[in-house]
Amino acid sequence: MGKVLMKGNEAIGEAAIRAGCLNYFAYPITPQSEVAEYLSRRLPEVGGVFLQGESEVAVSYMILGAAATGERVFTTSSSPGISLMSEGISYIAGMQIPAVFVNIMRGGPGLGGILPSQADYLQATKGIGHGDCRLLVMAPASVQEAAEMTMRAFPLAEKYLNPVMILGDGLIGQMMEPVEFPDDLKTEPSKKDEWATNGMDTRGSNRRNLIRSLYLDPEVLNQHNLELKAKYDRMQQEEIRYEAYNTDSDYEVLIVSYGTMSRVCRTAVDQLQEQGMAVGMLRPQTVYPFPEEAVGNAAAKKSCLAVASIEMSMGQMLEDVQRSVKGRQPVHWFGKCGGEVPTPEEVIEFVRSLTK
Amino acid sequence: MAIALEGIIVIVGNYGSGKTEVTINLAVEKKKAGVDVRVADLDLVNPYFRTREARILLADSGIDLVLPPEDMLHADLPLLSPVVSGMIRNPSPLTIIDVGGNDAGATVLSALAEAFRDKYCHMLQVVNPLRPATDTVAGCLNIRKQIETAARMPINGLIGNANLIDETTAADVYRGVEFVEQLSQESGLPLRFITAAAELLPDIDLNRIPCPVLTIYRQLVPPWKKAHIR
Repeated sequence: MGKVLMKGNEAIGEAAIRAGCLNYFAYPITPQSEVAEYLSRRLPEVGGVFLQGESEVAVSYMILGAAATGERVFTTSSSPGISLMSEGISYIAGMQIPAVFVNIMRGGPGLGGILPSQADYLQATKGIGHGDCRLLVMAPASVQEAAEMTMRAFPLAEKYLNPVMILGDGLIGQMMEPVEFPDDLKTEPSKKDEWATNGMDTRGSNRRNLIRSLYLDPEVLNQHNLELKAKYDRMQQEEIRYEAYNTDSDYEVLIVSYGTMSRVCRTAVDQLQEQGMAVGMLRPQTVYPFPEEAVGNAAAKKSCLAVASIEMSMGQMLEDVQRSVKGRQPVHWFGKCGGEVPTPEEVIEFVRSLTK
Repeated sequence: MAIALEGIIVIVGNYGSGKTEVTINLAVEKKKAGVDVRVADLDLVNPYFRTREARILLADSGIDLVLPPEDMLHADLPLLSPVVSGMIRNPSPLTIIDVGGNDAGATVLSALAEAFRDKYCHMLQVVNPLRPATDTVAGCLNIRKQIETAARMPINGLIGNANLIDETTAADVYRGVEFVEQLSQESGLPLRFITAAAELLPDIDLNRIPCPVLTIYRQLVPPWKKAHIR
């Protein structure tokens, strides 16, 4: 199959099917309702199950239930809907079962607006639910990358027995780009006998797996949290992904930006280069774990005078960038958060102001 | 070959088939040719990339664009301006109505049945065979039927819009023509015109294309493609 022209939301739905996930439960919300629209037609064609829940809270527990049986399952939502799901996400992390959540972010807080935003960065990377839980969070910058990250998300969720999140902004969901679904990203579901619920041993297994997040004994709960922490530490070792752009030669300013915001920044970097100013960019593809070392090293380059965190939020990624730069350079923030995406001209003007 | 269409044109098709790009570019081309053009953005189902995003271009070209009230432009509410039925009853020499995608988007047309009564209109289905639901003739006919049922109006013509945006090649355009010609044969719907992006035109042999070609200057682009060096 050659390339087809798809909306990001459609591509995410198709990618999940190609990755072998045939269970999708969701509640519609702009700007990601096309995923449900697409899968409500497509899943029955391939023998899958589409169910619309009565709310996002309900959906998060439908995901939990399906995941507990060892089935690949996912949902999609947008900012307010993810807030409602956060309780279920915490339970899923605590129960150590795999599931995939997609957040196509819109402006907030509250109902906010329906246009693109990256204002759920802190929620996704640091505060998704109560308790010491973390998600592996990937942030696509194109429809192609959204499809590939979705396909990778399922085996990663099974590797860590933990929820994985795709964090896209509204543009990722709504824009159309040519896309293809690489066959080599198809994976077989992992062996679930070790962890999935098996009722009264109906699978012929001689062990009964109890799935729970309740640990009343403080010592046992502490041990449980240490186990979870070990998984998150392992993510730091094994899952960090990023893209460096225009960083081979010297540059005066380093931009850190992710998602579709980084596409605007890339255009700005190219135009600044044409105007004789060298600017490098580091684009986190995983925002948790954050590419701390890569950002730190890029900022440490002798020619680099300033670092800019450019995002469609009020500086939610800024702390991660500052932490990575470790005070070696001043770190500045530029962004907008209302649905208006900063233009390349605005980014250029801001970057120029940093060296004046 | 010029595109010979006048009166009311209703643009329908599946999600992402390119209805809005076709609407904007057709409106501007006809206006440049001296025709008075009015456009209505009737996309009540899609929150982004609607005709309203080109309102400045259309206004600068002297094209009247009917929209929901300004304070509701970014709402995801199905707002139908009462002005629309008026513009159908008393159409301009060319009135283009850009409808939302699929049967869901076309449902609004049934609410305008009263205004459409006794009026002839060109109801044209935009087809991009490089989109997943319309990559076969059967798929296009299926969408056609769903739209006609929801709209309670018959489709009576086709627009070929084969493209992969920036990655479109001349070969894609030729294959697209073959596809819509076959669709035209099997459905009995006449092919009104096809589209080709302005930057692709030098590569295309117009003698190989049996119908008019609408040049597309892409308007609905993401922000990183809007850059101009000051």
